Amino acid sequence: MISPLYLERPGWWRAVGLAVCFLSAIGFTLPLLWRAVSGSSGSSIGAPFASAVVTSMFAGGLVGAIALVFGLPAGVLAALYRLPGRSILLALVVLPALVPSFLWAIGWSALAIRVGPAAVDTINSMTGVILSLLSLALPIVVLTAFITTRGLTASQVDAARVCGGERAVLIHACRHAAPPAMLVAAIAGVLTLSDPGPGMIFGRRTVAADILTSFSAQYDFVLAGRQSVLLAAVVLVVTIPLIVTAGPRLVDAVMARQMHPVVPVRSTKMGAWGVTLFAIILFVTLLLPLTGLLLPLLGGIEYWRAFDALTRTGGNTLYYSLGAGLIAAMLGAVCGVFVGRSPRSRMLVFAAAMLVLIQPPALIALGLVELGSSAPPAADVLLRSRATVCLALAVRLFPIGALLGMRAFGGMAPSWAHAAAVHGVPLRRYLLRVVLPWLAPGTIAAALLVALLAAGDVGTVLLLHPPGFQSLPLNIFTVMANAPESLVASLCLIYILAAASVLMIAMLCLRGRSR
Amino acid sequence: MHRIILMLAIGFIAMMPIACSRESGSSSSAGEVVVYTSVDEVFARPIAEQFEKDTGIKVRLVPDTEETKSTGLLNRLIAEKQRPVADVFWSGDPVRAAILKQEGVSAPYRSPQAGGLPERFSDPDHHWTGFSARARILIYNTNLVPADQKPASVMDLLDERFEGRVCIANPLFGTTSMHAAALFDVLGEDKARAFFEGFIANGGRILSSNGEVRRRVAAGEFALGITDTDDFNVARIEGKPVAAVYPDAAPGTEGMGTLIIPNCAVLIAGAPNADNGKRFIDYLLRPQTEQRLAESEAAQMPVRSGVESPGHVTPLEQLPPMTVDYDKLAPLLEELSRGYLKQWVDRNLQ
Repeated sequence: MISPLYLERPGWWRAVGLAVCFLSAIGFTLPLLWRAVSGSSGSSIGAPFASAVVTSMFAGGLVGAIALVFGLPAGVLAALYRLPGRSILLALVVLPALVPSFLWAIGWSALAIRVGPAAVDTINSMTGVILSLLSLALPIVVLTAFITTRGLTASQVDAARVCGGERAVLIHACRHAAPPAMLVAAIAGVLTLSDPGPGMIFGRRTVAADILTSFSAQYDFVLAGRQSVLLAAVVLVVTIPLIVTAGPRLVDAVMARQMHPVVPVRSTKMGAWGVTLFAIILFVTLLLPLTGLLLPLLGGIEYWRAFDALTRTGGNTLYYSLGAGLIAAMLGAVCGVFVGRSPRSRMLVFAAAMLVLIQPPALIALGLVELGSSAPPAADVLLRSRATVCLALAVRLFPIGALLGMRAFGGMAPSWAHAAAVHGVPLRRYLLRVVLPWLAPGTIAAALLVALLAAGDVGTVLLLHPPGFQSLPLNIFTVMANAPESLVASLCLIYILAAASVLMIAMLCLRGRSR
Repeated sequence: MHRIILMLAIGFIAMMPIACSRESGSSSSAGEVVVYTSVDEVFARPIAEQFEKDTGIKVRLVPDTEETKSTGLLNRLIAEKQRPVADVFWSGDPVRAAILKQEGVSAPYRSPQAGGLPERFSDPDHHWTGFSARARILIYNTNLVPADQKPASVMDLLDERFEGRVCIANPLFGTTSMHAAALFDVLGEDKARAFFEGFIANGGRILSSNGEVRRRVAAGEFALGITDTDDFNVARIEGKPVAAVYPDAAPGTEGMGTLIIPNCAVLIAGAPNADNGKRFIDYLLRPQTEQRLAESEAAQMPVRSGVESPGHVTPLEQLPPMTVDYDKLAPLLEELSRGYLKQWVDRNLQ
């Protein structure tokens, strides 16, 4: 009989398990990357690419910094104080991250055209790119600051309040939440590097657009691969100091522990500050670009064509996103078990997760296309089907599942395994009766989060979806060039309403669970 | 409760491959054809649906756009070369079709329906066959450009009366890339380079796509741009203040002519449903399909003579076409995309 204590001890199986998890995530890209490094290209990486890297790093840095300046206090205030309609505000803040960034860029562009030439000049610059990318960065920084502040114990907050009033509470909470929020802001900045949409729409040279050009205009995969490798190296060099300094704090922050959590209190002044901050964030990341996106609806809504598109693509969108969410969450939960309680493993997994996140999505997708092409027909069920899309999306977003998986396992008391061992409970029963039920809520949350993020993907779905199985965002993407503006706006409206509904349902489920 | 949810989730994942076996195996079953297309979905889907009704063969359409935000279907077709999924590639222009021929992705097919189609729009080795065409046009905002100052040539993009108010799409992508290669072919390298440099000197802007050119000229942000006839027609239907000019095609002038961009039907080598693919290509090349595309929002010009088309579609025979060898444009474009055009875009996109 294997003892449950096995789960609490170090062992070679942890390293092997983690290696298998991450190799399955980046394995598809390795042959392609090898070809990129060893193959020959007609073009070389020159000064323009270096300049694009610098421009994009600057833009990413600025996006991260702005997200931090607004997101940190907003998240902290929402965690500490009872803001009016806090759940709705948080849900609305998350919503922009669930919509593909190219739609926000189009929304900004359309709004500027309506406003006038001065607005057009302002938006058709790096300003437009940064505003569009903020829709992704701000929500995740707000959420991180919120979750981290909720990690403070009630006694810590009470002690700060007794010592120096609300000012001391705020300073203490901000100090506590700042390192993880900074790291997440940096991750958000890194994520913007692989997004070519806004740069293309606003006519700015970004590194993602350069790599895309190598792929799709020059058909030079070797060059694109080399550019990706170089970008990954630059990003690692830049972020390693941050990971080393702030990583342990974030890892600690996301690791749940048994405690009395902080209870939000009522404060008119702080409440007003909080609502103002949320209003600014929502105005910039949601309301303004959404207005630009939906203005064509004033000329009428194309109900039937939009409904037809929804019926054709809605099921597939749900399938891809749920499939990706479940695979990523389960892989993440397994990863959490393999990491166990080792701080070194947590740091390693965190760094590896960063590596996976900065891979261009097309790299994973093209890796799977080539694999599917060279595999026997029997493998089509996995390599050339809707499951392939789920797999590719899950691989891309697996780091989120891994982080939440680590958090879930870290929240288990080691004494449970000891108690089970003392009473002679076999490992299998301990896993089924204790570990799995304990990991389930975190796994479900990870699945929902990954599902929502996967729902907005376009690049992976375009390259991998089986013929006839489009998703709704891909449909918007393929019709927007020449479809009437009102149809594109109607499709966008449907997509945003669907994302908001799913988000609301998820929040209601979580609220029900916490009660 | 958690256990039930967990079991359901495991069940979902376990069922995924079973549920997917139908779609992955479907491309080899009878009665289907897989069509990849770079023609905008709003124009391609009605034709595919009509084919389904007329023949009973199910069409699985995989659309793409000429927008510059994806790695595109062409890469997917090349990556799938060893064991293709697609039967037919319905290309929006002959250059992508020629690239597929170069890469060994396409197979020769001479359709019985190709009889009335002009040979100059098709590959001599029958790897691609051209039908309904678009043209590259000058689109201008009628509120900003008086009728007596309307442009007549692509060279008007360099005219000082439009200084700081002209735009084109990124010439590394889509039909604009083909137009750029055609200009190099027709004008020669020196004059073509002078055109692109002059465009920037005149305050010209590079936008993301032809659709963006249409939108921003219609909005009055730019006075003049270059786009395709189908883009212009969408703005015309929406009642935007725009008009179009076929460049270098005015009667009595000796301009270089208007670039004509035919659609192309390509049979994929090793197509799983080759017979149905051929039937789909035959269907595309019929006069009725040309007529349907002329009547659609795409307002495409039939290349076959004698096909009826609405009044707003200019008959091809009324246009002096730019004389280009489409097959030679593919290698030229490849060279330019790695050379001058890439450098030009690098220099002028900040």
